[in-house]
Amino acid sequence: MSAPAIVAQGAPARIVGVLAPGGRAALIVLAALAIVLLFLGPIVILVVTSLRPGWAVYYIYRGTAFTLQNYLDVFARPAVVRAFVNSFVLATLATVLSLGITVTSGYMLSRFDGPIPRTWFGTIYLFRTVPYISWVLPLYLVDYYFGVYDTFAGILLPHIAVHICFFSWIMKGFFDGIDPSMEHAAMIDGCTRWGAFRRVALPAAIPAIAALAILSWLYTWNEFLFALILTGHNTALITVTMAQFVTELGTAWNLMSAMAVLAMVPAVLVTVFAQKYVIRGLRI
Amino acid sequence: MSLRRNGLLARLGEKERFALLLIAPAASVLVLFQIVPIVIGANASFRDWQLYNPKETWIGLAHYRYILSDPVFLTVVLPNTFLLMFASVAISLVLGMALAHLLNWNFRGHTLVQTVILLPQMIAPVIAATSMRWTFNDQFGVVAAFLRAVGYGQISWLAERWPSFLIVLFTDVWIWAPWFALILLAALKSLPREPFEAAQIDATGRWRTFTHVTLPMLRPVIGVCVLIRSIDAFRTFDQVWVLTGGGPARTTEVFSIYAYIETFVNLDFGRGSAAAIVGAVIILIVAWTMYRAVDRLANVSR
Repeated sequence: MSAPAIVAQGAPARIVGVLAPGGRAALIVLAALAIVLLFLGPIVILVVTSLRPGWAVYYIYRGTAFTLQNYLDVFARPAVVRAFVNSFVLATLATVLSLGITVTSGYMLSRFDGPIPRTWFGTIYLFRTVPYISWVLPLYLVDYYFGVYDTFAGILLPHIAVHICFFSWIMKGFFDGIDPSMEHAAMIDGCTRWGAFRRVALPAAIPAIAALAILSWLYTWNEFLFALILTGHNTALITVTMAQFVTELGTAWNLMSAMAVLAMVPAVLVTVFAQKYVIRGLRI
Repeated sequence: MSLRRNGLLARLGEKERFALLLIAPAASVLVLFQIVPIVIGANASFRDWQLYNPKETWIGLAHYRYILSDPVFLTVVLPNTFLLMFASVAISLVLGMALAHLLNWNFRGHTLVQTVILLPQMIAPVIAATSMRWTFNDQFGVVAAFLRAVGYGQISWLAERWPSFLIVLFTDVWIWAPWFALILLAALKSLPREPFEAAQIDATGRWRTFTHVTLPMLRPVIGVCVLIRSIDAFRTFDQVWVLTGGGPARTTEVFSIYAYIETFVNLDFGRGSAAAIVGAVIILIVAWTMYRAVDRLANVSR
């Protein structure tokens, strides 16, 4: 009976108990503050810079001059507006299509066994490991050859392919968490295999798939390497357009920050309003 | 032709045909947009294929010989790639583990901390890198202002190899430590309580509880996290490209940047493809070795 009492004094005493009572709480608060500062700091710096007038960026300015002019200037560029529209449409279409084709693939991995799923699993592991650069370099030529370089199709199709391995794998996890006995029951009652998937398994997986859809949308919205290699003036996307502020204007940090802040609006919205779903989706 | 294929499919049985049907869309997209390009790239890596002058003549292993004896590749690119991969994964894991433990104490405001650390995971790596580039700007950045205020003087972070590399590493850790934290937090919360209660009854210290109870139980999760993250860290491109572009003087190039520069700056598609293949082979070997190790770790702990 006395053992827990000893622990209560003994164990924590070693690290924080030497501090005054409340020392442990103070330590946690300090640690939490340091973390918030570390992870929020760079984002806050971007937001503040985006609200500064252009002249205040080129020396260390601590004054109170703030302006929304940078946002107006950024939006006055047709290329920027087009980039936002392009990225939005691309992220939406790529998410719908890539989830559409990986949901059945994940279901298959979860419910079947034998040589076909084993082969498919091996393929997925293998191509999940191959670095993007190894297939996006030749994709540039493929796009050129088929005349789709710098067209919407030329960037959309590769973006559907990017996450096939990763999503199939995650989807398998979703279906593993759903009891298959309902599907067996449905099939005994005369449902086809497709019907059992479509009417029983799929509805049960929808919440998890919705979480993945949010992540998928953001991954495409944030993607840079494919956009850099496979897009040009006609299909500029936000990440590439933003990176070009560096070279075009030297150091137009105020404009670039404004663009960056606009580009991270979806991420902030998701973080604030869909945190629970997203964290579930990050699960490996 | 179609008759024979029908015959083959018919022999498979209804269940197998349905399985094939389920993966058919994903498999065809994978073949068309990943496997076919890889084959094209592999083919080009054996040819004299300048982007401005695609002769496409077969030159055997010349590109591979060049890359595997290129001092930049051997003494800069490979060490950088592995150093970034190893350091980023190790630091992110340790930091993520600490964060996960902190968040596991349900102190007031822990949801706020969780929200804040989720942000780096959600925003684009390009934005994170842009922000860091500005923060560490040697004249107008916040860090420069701070250093000047404490009288340290100016550091040209992005003008030298190791400071640049450190900033790339810092950015990568900033992005990925939260990922480790969130996954390890979920794992911590799902651990059974009994071993911890037993440790408490035995008056085991916090550190010993961590090393002897928590760590062994988390080992499978840690193994999978490290494996996945190492594979992805090997191909890091965005952060390095925005922060340093591989510079100054090619000293912070990593493998993806090297292949990109060979292809689109030096306009040598053949050599760039060969570099991409070399990198892919290296990471496949490394990943396979790690996969075996993780598998063994997971089995030992069971």
